[in-house]
Amino acid sequence: MAELHIIGQIVGASGFPHSSLFCKWGIHAGGAWRLLSGLREGQTQVDSPQTSDMAFWSHPIDLHYATKGLQGWPKLHLQVWHQDLFGRCELSGYGYCHVPSSPGHHRLRCATWRPLGSWQEQLAQSFVGGGPQLRFPDVIYSGADRYRLHTAAGGTVELELAVILRNFDKYGVES
Amino acid sequence: MASSSDLREKIRKKRRALQESLAKSKDDVDTQALVTTEMEMSSDRGRTEVEELSGSQEQQVTTLKQTLKAQRMRRRRKLLEDTTAEATRGDQPMGTELSEVGEPLDSVTKPRSTRHTQRDLPPLPVETPLRRRVAEKLKAAKSKAETLLQQEALSEPTSCLQSLRDRETLTRFDVETDPRLLSRETGELSTAARVKFQDAAHRVRQKAEMETGLPTAEMAYNFFTFNFDPEPQEEPVKRQKKGRSKRRDRAEEEEEGEEEGDSHGEEEEAGAEQEEEEPEEGRDEDAPLVGDQGSELFIIDQTAQDFLEVKAVDYVGYHSRVQRESEVLFTPSLRTVPASSKVPENRQPRYLEDEGLYVGERPPVSRVNQNILENRILQQDEGKKWFGDDGRVQALPNPIKQSPTRPPLFSLEGDLDPALQTVYRKALKSKHAGRYIPGAGPGEEQRHCQLDVDVAGLIFSHHPLFSREHVLGARLAQLYDQHLARQSRNLTGLLTDKLNGLRNATRNIKDLHGEQGLNMAMRQRMVEYKEEVKNTRILRDTEQEKDRTLLKSIVKVWKEMKALREFQRFTNTAYKLHLRREVVELQKDEQDFEAEIQAELAELRGEFEDEYQRKMEQYSQQHEEWRTWRRKQKARKKKKKAKMRDDGEEEEEEEEQEEEFVGDEPPKPELPEKQDWALAEQQVREKASRWRRRPGEPVLVPDISLSGSITPTEQCPRGEIARREDVSKRSLFVKVLYNDKEVSRTDRRSLSSDFRVHFGQIFNLKIVNWPESVRLQVFEVVGSSSSLLAEVFVPLPDTTVLTGSAPFQELEFGSSQRVAFDHEGVGSDVPFSFEADGSNKLTLLTSGKLSCCISWAVDKNEVPLAPPNSQQPWGVRSGLRQMDAIACIGASGLSDMKKLSKWAAESRLDPNDPSNAMLMQLLTVASSGSVQVPDYFRLEQLQEEFNFVTDEELQRSRRFQLLTLRSQEVAEFRNYKNIPAVEREVSEKIFQDYERRLQEGEVIDTRDHLDAHRALVAKYLQKVRESVVNRFLISKHHFILSDLVQEDEVPSIGVLGLNLFKLAEPKRPLKPQRKERKKVTAQNLSDGDIKVLVNIIRAYDIPIRKPLSSKPPVASKSARPFKEPFAAGQSSQNALQGGDWPLSQSQIRPFVEVSFQRTVCQTTTADGPNPCWNEELELPFSAPNGDYSTSSLQSMKDEVFINIFDEMAFDITEDERERGSSVHTRIERHWLGSVKIPFSTVYLQSRIDGTFKVQSPAVLLGYSKERSLASEGGYDAVRCLSEGSFITLFITIQPQLIPGESVRERMKEIKFDTQEEERLLQAAEVFQRDAALCFPGRPCITTVIDINGKAVFVTRYIRALSPPQELLDAFPNSPQETMELVARYVSLIPSLPDSVSFAGICDIWSTCDQFLTLLAGDEEEHAVLLCNYFLFMKKKAWLIIGTAVPEGPTAYVLTYEQGHYVIWDPSKGQYYGQYDTFCPLQTVGCLINADNVWFNLQPYDTPMRMSFDVTRSKLWKPFFSRAFPNPGLSSVQPEEIAYKRSDKAAAAELQDRIEKVLKEKIMEWRPRHPTRWNRYCTATLRHFLPKLELSRGRDVGEEHRLELHNLLGDYRISGFPLHMAFSELHPLVEMVYSTGVHNVEAPSIEFALAVYVHPYPSSVLSVWVYLASLVRTR
Repeated sequence: MAELHIIGQIVGASGFPHSSLFCKWGIHAGGAWRLLSGLREGQTQVDSPQTSDMAFWSHPIDLHYATKGLQGWPKLHLQVWHQDLFGRCELSGYGYCHVPSSPGHHRLRCATWRPLGSWQEQLAQSFVGGGPQLRFPDVIYSGADRYRLHTAAGGTVELELAVILRNFDKYGVES
Repeated sequence: MASSSDLREKIRKKRRALQESLAKSKDDVDTQALVTTEMEMSSDRGRTEVEELSGSQEQQVTTLKQTLKAQRMRRRRKLLEDTTAEATRGDQPMGTELSEVGEPLDSVTKPRSTRHTQRDLPPLPVETPLRRRVAEKLKAAKSKAETLLQQEALSEPTSCLQSLRDRETLTRFDVETDPRLLSRETGELSTAARVKFQDAAHRVRQKAEMETGLPTAEMAYNFFTFNFDPEPQEEPVKRQKKGRSKRRDRAEEEEEGEEEGDSHGEEEEAGAEQEEEEPEEGRDEDAPLVGDQGSELFIIDQTAQDFLEVKAVDYVGYHSRVQRESEVLFTPSLRTVPASSKVPENRQPRYLEDEGLYVGERPPVSRVNQNILENRILQQDEGKKWFGDDGRVQALPNPIKQSPTRPPLFSLEGDLDPALQTVYRKALKSKHAGRYIPGAGPGEEQRHCQLDVDVAGLIFSHHPLFSREHVLGARLAQLYDQHLARQSRNLTGLLTDKLNGLRNATRNIKDLHGEQGLNMAMRQRMVEYKEEVKNTRILRDTEQEKDRTLLKSIVKVWKEMKALREFQRFTNTAYKLHLRREVVELQKDEQDFEAEIQAELAELRGEFEDEYQRKMEQYSQQHEEWRTWRRKQKARKKKKKAKMRDDGEEEEEEEEQEEEFVGDEPPKPELPEKQDWALAEQQVREKASRWRRRPGEPVLVPDISLSGSITPTEQCPRGEIARREDVSKRSLFVKVLYNDKEVSRTDRRSLSSDFRVHFGQIFNLKIVNWPESVRLQVFEVVGSSSSLLAEVFVPLPDTTVLTGSAPFQELEFGSSQRVAFDHEGVGSDVPFSFEADGSNKLTLLTSGKLSCCISWAVDKNEVPLAPPNSQQPWGVRSGLRQMDAIACIGASGLSDMKKLSKWAAESRLDPNDPSNAMLMQLLTVASSGSVQVPDYFRLEQLQEEFNFVTDEELQRSRRFQLLTLRSQEVAEFRNYKNIPAVEREVSEKIFQDYERRLQEGEVIDTRDHLDAHRALVAKYLQKVRESVVNRFLISKHHFILSDLVQEDEVPSIGVLGLNLFKLAEPKRPLKPQRKERKKVTAQNLSDGDIKVLVNIIRAYDIPIRKPLSSKPPVASKSARPFKEPFAAGQSSQNALQGGDWPLSQSQIRPFVEVSFQRTVCQTTTADGPNPCWNEELELPFSAPNGDYSTSSLQSMKDEVFINIFDEMAFDITEDERERGSSVHTRIERHWLGSVKIPFSTVYLQSRIDGTFKVQSPAVLLGYSKERSLASEGGYDAVRCLSEGSFITLFITIQPQLIPGESVRERMKEIKFDTQEEERLLQAAEVFQRDAALCFPGRPCITTVIDINGKAVFVTRYIRALSPPQELLDAFPNSPQETMELVARYVSLIPSLPDSVSFAGICDIWSTCDQFLTLLAGDEEEHAVLLCNYFLFMKKKAWLIIGTAVPEGPTAYVLTYEQGHYVIWDPSKGQYYGQYDTFCPLQTVGCLINADNVWFNLQPYDTPMRMSFDVTRSKLWKPFFSRAFPNPGLSSVQPEEIAYKRSDKAAAAELQDRIEKVLKEKIMEWRPRHPTRWNRYCTATLRHFLPKLELSRGRDVGEEHRLELHNLLGDYRISGFPLHMAFSELHPLVEMVYSTGVHNVEAPSIEFALAVYVHPYPSSVLSVWVYLASLVRTR
């Protein structure tokens, strides 16, 4: 029974049009994976950087998985949100990245996107905030039929993950 | 080379810089600089001349060149320095140079000057000196060259030139090979350099010209446009390639182009020219060029053309090139490569596809290209490896898919996948969006689509109003139509032709090859032909038959019609049949007929022959078989006969066996009979006569016309007239429905007598929506009512079907309406008959044909007004659909197994194509069984195959289970720290507890609880606790800011000021103040870090020993008060007792033992009844499971036991002789009393400081209380009121732990659901907030949480409730006694702090009945119950919410009795006056009764210093005031409490059990000593206990002691009764243990133990344990 530890942090995000961001994250793994301990989703604090445009969260991620197969290797999905002046939250990016499958320390940069909506929606967004969001956030990692969406690029989220594999070699998975 | 080129580059740059700087400076300076540079150059030229002269021989020349080159380089460097120096020097050197101008150059200057004049320019003043200088320089250079080269001096420049000129041709030819060599050596750089220099020189010359003040056009142009970059090198390279002859020409041209001065000048020119040539050929680089230019500059004035040369394109003849290329190039031929050369030798090409292997489709490559490629590859080494086994170039299958895998996306805005829809709903288009025709973009105009519906008319093939004749007519018309259609198709003719063709072919084969020459293939073909002929013949025959029957039936119908007309004497229809006869030649016809028959016969014969052959073969084979069988049979029979002779008996069996063995006999084949020829022929002829036109019979062509006349109405019978009238009444119209909406309808047209209706209307439908259906509804109108006759669906036209070109469609319609008439009309769906007798009935339904046409309209510009083709759902279906499953059946179809398999079958998938492997597998699986579509959907299809381990194995892993349980915070594993890394290290036992707990569930273990009821209660409590914990865990994750961010308060100005004042305060070292210790958060602690500090300061009023004397205690009692000094009294006593206890000096030697978590510490022993220890004891603390989280600390049930013992020393020295030398004593200790403080209290309050009453037994055998001491100390008033001893303690935890945040604060954040009014809740919140603001230390309660987790207003709990009747009846006369009894009853209900049971989560208030059922509760429950009882007893009672020692926040009861207030401690059943010092109540926060809540606003909150008069609103702030009156809250308490009667039997049983258990325990605790039980004493004690219960432990001590003393005179008894409320056995055992009676180790010790359980109503039990140790004194 192979085990996988994912220990790391969501360092922060940069390149978003707004500062004062926070991030909702979650890990999605296939049916063969069993979470032994740790939280598989969470939300960071709101960081409004004073100097640079990089928002730092340093949000810890600590998961311990046991698996009976390689399918459905865990993947991270992220939603970066922006909290505006009035404390309202609006979406500013969806992101998705695979958890690295090689052991060791990894620095990941996860690019994000957000749905654009029609021009009316964009107009409304620029004046009253809010904006289109996915009705079913599963699309972030399922990706089926996403080609129908019009999106705009968001910033990037930086992650640092340390991956520890155990017993994978027993089952013929070389790492 | 490189260095030289670098150098050149540098020079060039320098020069340019120079020029620029010079241009700015004065003219003369400019020229000066120029001249000097040029002069140097000219010196080079001079040197070259020299060289030319001498260099007749090549080698010499080359060596010279090399040396020269080196020197030039050196000189050049110098030159550069010179020029720069000179530029700064200015005019000065001019003079010197001027003087040195020599003669020889005069000749040179002359032509120059002439030239200048020719240019119409004023001669420059500088010119002559300049020339001179140049000449001078030249000369100098020449001389230098001379010395260098060590050659003979030149005689004259002219002669030199002349000689040069003479030699010109010579050099050219001589050096023919030389330049090539050189060019090879020096490469292109030299030439490049040369060009550069030319250019530079050119520019310099231009500069010179500029001095004249008139820039030429070219110069001007150059000035602005010239790019001073190095020139590209191609040009010079090209130039060098060119032939030499050109140069010669050019040189001459130049000469010609110049204006010839005199011959001398010309010569000069030529010389210069020559020199220009020379460096190109002979010299390597710059120096000669410079020389050239220098000379050109000064000697002749040339235009730019002179320096440029125009060369023709270098061209090599085509043929020569081809020839040359053919030597190096290989051109593969275009011919096909024979397969043999592509496969390895001696091998046949093998075709994998034929062997059944899958070979994909190759990518298309043109034949020629393939040939070229193959030819080329074959030329290579190992060329054959590129070819596969089939002799073709190896290639992967064509990767290009014919169709996109994704269905094309037409519109981005249209029907989005619901999973992708975004939340902005408004932006989404309406759900019909997809049905609109696109192209209506925002900018674009709405596209018009127009559908033209042309409704031409309709014809009824049957109508209810048909007369019989009409029916026949319609049938006739129908048959005729059929006939026409058949004729136009002419199937018979076609088949006949085919038959003839086939026959011819067969005959041809026979003729050509003859019968025997047929090879295998031919024979095969013959057979096929024959088969074909046979089939065709049969087909033709049927067609012919059909034709003939059709004709016959036409004729028949016509005959019937005629008969009918005759019969009814009128005609209704205009049908008329003519049969046209076409006469045929009899002779030819007969021949044909016969020939046809013959041919057929011949074929039949052939077939018969074949058949016969085959049968014969079969027969012979079978016959053979049969014969062999026969033979065997015979042989066997013979054998049998022989055997029969041998043995008779066996034979029978054997025969049977034999019979079986032989088995069934093959049937004897019959000889196939020959076909009967005559019969066959007859059949053929018969058939022919039946179906075919007889020879000579004329061809009949039917022809129907409508020329017949219809009988006028007047002449018809009545029925017919009625019918016709009916017909004329009817009219029809057609509705056009588009997408189920009526868009238009035709005019009404009346039904004509021939049942045809002509509409001829075209409807133009301008459409917006997608066409989904077009329907035409035929309505029949009779009078004013219309009825739907039929409905016709018109197929939607393809977009290519346009108006004008669209054909009319005839759409059949029908109706099943039943119509019957009483006139001639035959009706519909009604049987009728043509016969007179009514037989042969027919039933016809209304039917007809509607002729219409639907097409797309065309606008004026011939543009079809059709929607775009691609969007149409039926337009996509093209060839692609065959290839792509998704395109064909749609993505949803993929899950439909049947659909999929059908598609796969239709599209004929290549089963070997790997890309179809999945599909095929799926299909085989699906089709193997009966198509079983699983009703589930497998999510991860291949998961099983790739699994490492099975689910069960994963589940079985103990380690994973442990990890998961830990992370789920299951109680057993919540704080499990280290989990082993390896599976085998996890012990199996680890889950035992957990699993047992899970299994137990409802099972109740009565063993631990002794009482079924209590066990149930415990279970129930556990459940409540769990549910509350779960509820709390949910809310625990609801964080607020203060949970996460710890922020120090910013000091305000006031605080700062205060602190400043403090600085100024005088220091008072003698009044030390406690400093706040630093608090430690509990999370990073481990075992041993925490210690409990118990500071035992002093005790008061400890009972003293009583001598075991016969002296009546009364005497001692009375005697003592008179003893003045404390010690003196003792001594007198000791004197009395001296003989018994010589060593016991004092009355009592108490010490304190503190035990906590089974660690025990004790103080030193002090003396006297008021000892002072002042000692600090340190007890280590360890949390359960090492979990130091606040929640676990709060829920710790451990208690700090503080026991006071009396230390007694007994002399056990047995030998009197040793007494002098050794001391041998035994120390005994006697328990005097104890104080219990729960750890949770210590933890929550962080320290406990105060004087506590020692819980001492009512009777202490051997000890007595010294009441008289009251007068001694300073506490007279106080102590006389209170009984018992007291101890002053200070307990704290080191280091200080942060107590879990106040439970109530916490709960404020969590909103509990409630049934209270919102207004009330708000008011409560405000009230509480205000209270907390004014007096943060005072507890204030308005709402509490009931057992269901709902918030309830606190006054609802207060309601008068009756106590058990027997309690009221006990002291009918004394209300005081009753109150005490009731208080005792309440206190006997075991107390279980909520913070312990609910893990410090919240304070839960249960109602009184719940409390009595649970038999466990907090102080609040006790207080509420007591308060309610008091209210019932018509007392004025309030609930006090306050804090007390040691329990912390608590609830007491206040009553008002005869002018003063009494405070009741409900959990102990004791009462205190308001001014009682030892009242444990410390602060009073608020008072509660059934009507209101009052908050204490007084400056003091200790009961002693405050007033309890709640009517004074200055002191007490009421919750319900006039502004907010009490809405009349109903109580949550029940009306009445039903009490169970006390069960004496159960109590007795329990009593026995407890006694037994305790005895066992004591024996268990004394493992090394025998434990003897004094039965007599026990019986006495048992007898005594009920009395104690009756008196509630008071005022019985003395009598009891006396009694005991009388009984057991010669025993020294020490013992005490213990009393407690019964909850469980465990605390009882703990208590007995803590007294330490069992520790007495005197050898002659005996024990006595008696238990008494007194039952009260509702299972409230009071337990008494009398424990005594007896030592025999004599």
